Amino acid sequence: MISTLSFVSVSDLVIGLSLGSRLFLIAVGLSLIFGVLGVLNFAHGALYMIGAYLALAFTTQVIDNFWIGVVAGAIGVGVIGVLIEVGTIRPLYDRVEADLDQLIVTFGFVLVIHEVVRFVWGSQPYSTPAPDALAFSVSVSGSTFSAYRLFVIVAALVVMAALWLFIRRTYFGALVRGTSSDREMASMLGVDVPRLYTGVFFLGSFLAGLGGALSAPLQSTSPALGEQVIIDAFIIVVIGGLGSMFGAFVGAMFVGLMQAIGPSFIAAGHIAIPFLAMVLVLLVRPEGLFGGLGE
Amino acid sequence: MAGKPCTDDVQNGRNGLDRRTFLKGAAGGAAVTTVAGCLGGGDDTISLGALYIFSGFGSLYGEEAERGYELAVEEINNDGGIDGQDVEIISRDTEGDPNAGIRQMTSLIEEENVDGLFGLDSSSVAQSIAPQVQEYQMPLMATHAATPFLTSPEGEHDNSVGNEWVFRNSNSLSHDMYGAAQVAATLELDEWATIGPDYAFGYETWDYFQAYCEGIGVDTAFTEEQFPALEESDYSPYISSILDAEPDGVITPLWGSDLTTFLGQAEQSGWFDEIEYTLFSVGMGTDLPADGSPLPEGELASTRYDPFEPDTEENNEFRETYVEEYDTLPTYNAEGAYRAVYLYRNAIEEAGTNADEIRSTFEESEHTGPVGEYAFAPETNQATVPAIWGEVSYDDEYESNVLDSLEVSDPSPEEMQQALEDAGSDLPTGV
Amino acid sequence: MSTHDDSVTSRIGEFTRDAVRNGWTRERCVVLLSLGLLLFGVVAPSFQIYLFTEFLIIALFALAFNLLYGYTGLLSFGHAMFLAGGSYGLAIFLQESEPYVSNVVGAGPAPLVSWVLGAVFAVSLVIAMAVPIGWLSVRLEEIYFALITLAFGMLVYSVIIQNPQGLTAGSDGINVLLGVTEIGGAEFRLGDRQIYYYLTLGIVGASTYGIWRIVNSPFGTICKSIRESPERAAALGVDVRFHRWMTFIVSAAFVGIAGVLIAGLSNVASPYHAHWSESATAVVATVIGGATYFAGPIIGAFVYLYARWGISRYPALEAHWEFFMGVLIILVVLYFKVGAAGGLYMLRTWLLDVQAAYRRGGANAAVGFVRESATNKLRRDSDASESDTGGVER
Repeated sequence: MISTLSFVSVSDLVIGLSLGSRLFLIAVGLSLIFGVLGVLNFAHGALYMIGAYLALAFTTQVIDNFWIGVVAGAIGVGVIGVLIEVGTIRPLYDRVEADLDQLIVTFGFVLVIHEVVRFVWGSQPYSTPAPDALAFSVSVSGSTFSAYRLFVIVAALVVMAALWLFIRRTYFGALVRGTSSDREMASMLGVDVPRLYTGVFFLGSFLAGLGGALSAPLQSTSPALGEQVIIDAFIIVVIGGLGSMFGAFVGAMFVGLMQAIGPSFIAAGHIAIPFLAMVLVLLVRPEGLFGGLGE
Repeated sequence: MAGKPCTDDVQNGRNGLDRRTFLKGAAGGAAVTTVAGCLGGGDDTISLGALYIFSGFGSLYGEEAERGYELAVEEINNDGGIDGQDVEIISRDTEGDPNAGIRQMTSLIEEENVDGLFGLDSSSVAQSIAPQVQEYQMPLMATHAATPFLTSPEGEHDNSVGNEWVFRNSNSLSHDMYGAAQVAATLELDEWATIGPDYAFGYETWDYFQAYCEGIGVDTAFTEEQFPALEESDYSPYISSILDAEPDGVITPLWGSDLTTFLGQAEQSGWFDEIEYTLFSVGMGTDLPADGSPLPEGELASTRYDPFEPDTEENNEFRETYVEEYDTLPTYNAEGAYRAVYLYRNAIEEAGTNADEIRSTFEESEHTGPVGEYAFAPETNQATVPAIWGEVSYDDEYESNVLDSLEVSDPSPEEMQQALEDAGSDLPTGV
Repeated sequence: MSTHDDSVTSRIGEFTRDAVRNGWTRERCVVLLSLGLLLFGVVAPSFQIYLFTEFLIIALFALAFNLLYGYTGLLSFGHAMFLAGGSYGLAIFLQESEPYVSNVVGAGPAPLVSWVLGAVFAVSLVIAMAVPIGWLSVRLEEIYFALITLAFGMLVYSVIIQNPQGLTAGSDGINVLLGVTEIGGAEFRLGDRQIYYYLTLGIVGASTYGIWRIVNSPFGTICKSIRESPERAAALGVDVRFHRWMTFIVSAAFVGIAGVLIAGLSNVASPYHAHWSESATAVVATVIGGATYFAGPIIGAFVYLYARWGISRYPALEAHWEFFMGVLIILVVLYFKVGAAGGLYMLRTWLLDVQAAYRRGGANAAVGFVRESATNKLRRDSDASESDTGGVER
């Protein structure tokens, strides 16, 4: 529109990357769970939201420490994820329409978690202050950012690297890869598949909680948050490929940059473009642009 | 469940049945049956329906309004009620959603048999409810929703929905923007931009602001506009787009928790260093009750009611009672709801609960309240109350932000009409 | 409505005698139900008529959705786009064309004529949307189908809120006002509570019958075989994709009808009608009601709306009514996949058994049967949750 059409401004780029980083932290857990368990977890956005609320509570309500809030958010959400998996997902694995039933059950949790959060914290949004060590502004070629925004980008890269090492280099990672490519074989070789599934569900939920907690200072925390991010997360994992970690990264950066640049350039269409991309990928390459976790 | 609806039904039989029979034919028959089944019920309350947002991003407006109308109810009932009958407010949550709003309005009229309606925060809810109250022939006193189309008589413009049943006791967006244009005239900035919510209210604010600026001869350019969705959790992309365009002034009708979110993120992005003046058109309604990010001192904001202006006995007394009761200054939404209850009390005391009589009493009388003296303009039913702009500053006595150096804007309808015509705009004034 | 009162009266008498003699056959239940529905519009309080009208529309929405889910196994998370297609089709037609219609047929009958033409236009619009969207979507199955319909639905939603060519009025939506029709001196308002109820009742009734005929036609039988096993159906020479596509279009068309009706009821075509959470309404109603029964979505819609209305008496609970819906969905999918309709069906079978026991051996036998079946049920429950019905039980 009126603003500069010739180049993407630095601020758009930094904001886009930080939005993308936040989305990556949500999408990667969703993708991991789908890749290994075959479960599309509708409640993943709601779990992310719980992470944000836990960080908020620890920072402003319980004790005045954001970092403890991040740890509590990640572990707390991981535990909630385990309860959901063991209580309501596991009984459904052997059904004929397991994947649809699981989708519907996890949708039930979207409603339940939304209302519980509203009951505890009310429907007004809260803002979470950034930790003191990062509560300063940085100026890059005339644009001002909070240092925390840059930190989130770094944090996402660190999580990406740690996860890659974990899946590639550890025994648990080998089990995960093996089970995701052939469940029966893994089971015959003595892998305790149900326990592994619960472990992966914990890891995926942990990542959702971590993402929610880390992004709390960048956004307002309200009960609408879960439903806003889950659709973005769906777009990302479809574009990147359900089950692909690298795909989740690329998809997240695409959607994040689209959200940042959209308002300046293609105001009229920027909401529609990610959905259009999702449709196209599903039609042309339903497995996503990047391969599965096992590759 | 057992007792109360019956009394309401009897009441309906007394004062409402004739109009509903007239309206709905056989539905009247159903009402008669219920009345017959409930003979013997008492009749000792007058009930009014309150429609506000009580959940989600705008819930603080509902909470503010509730304080206002509860204070009024307490005062009236302590003072012997209306002709010896207690007033009762039945409040419902519109959720800021037209569908929910219509459902709640229907339930208030048909299930609760209220004698009148007041409230409404969201302009989009107001616009879908206005034609409905006309069909029900039910008076509606809008206290907050600001779209000029609500009081612009149906037919004046494509979107106009005003009719003889709809009144507004607070000023409208059109009036507010006339005041904003006057402020812009004194600021003499080169470029203006806007960031507003992505629905009619956001767009109308920008349209009227530009039209009045042109109409009263403000020499400026309008460069950038951003309309993020309601309940956006991250404004940074939109903030960045505005900052990139480097305007000197920004007018924003963001409201509710959207405004609170925006303020925090704008601060982080260095907004208030780069933008010379930000005009907050709904600012004071959000600012007083917000804990997190009140408006920064030195910026400009408008209000539809100021707790210190006019400096009358009525206003001072209301303010002090309110502060004593709730330990905070009254917002315009609290005052609007407070005043709506009194408008109904005065009308019912004078004319009884006949809907048509209530309506014409609103129309014909001169009214007074904390906001000052006013009347409802013929044709539009828009209250003649001023728009107030001022500079945000902190008041130690009330431990709260207040507005200083007030500009009380009280243009005549003709002046507003003239300004819109000079700008070549087909927008209605709504006053 | 009252012209055939006499014949109705005599038929009621005959019906009652028959019912006493021969028991409750399906036809009689249908007749009795229709009669009750017709009377409802006269005797019920106005607000109840409103609520019931809304229920009928949601029921049609869910029923049409389940044509695809319950009968071909495709779970759509984007059916709200057709609801919005119907609402906006009507709203845009009324907005753009009412003056022209008025010029042609005169101002008196114009509102009615416009509504009829608008409804036809809206449903055609929905079909025009469903043909390509369905053709593309049915290439995918299971989760991927749910995702692509979600994407298409949100694409439609984002187009609506962008207000293309000023047609959709963005996020405000378009007001839909059904004016006063005057034909031959008689004046009536289509939007009148009672008239609109009967209009909705007629259309939803006819649509339900239409859907009933479709699922019991040879076409419906093929669909059921696809639901049970797409591979086996394909092996028998059924073009699975083509059948799914056709079902998709039919399903969308009926959702479009529901969309036309909801626009008139809520007086607005709102972008909210296209949002994925509106699609979820159909999913929730169907799952709660029981996807494997024809009447499941109808009963589910009833539970959905009336549970909400019931708890609206308690504001503290009403604020969190979605919590109860969430819990209900989880429980139904986990332990009671047959849903409310299946529950009612089982209850009926059980009551008939109790009755049979009573006929055989009096009260003691009946009590004994109740006790026995209860213990059996408890014992079986632990196994039952392991197994899965999956297929269609009708």
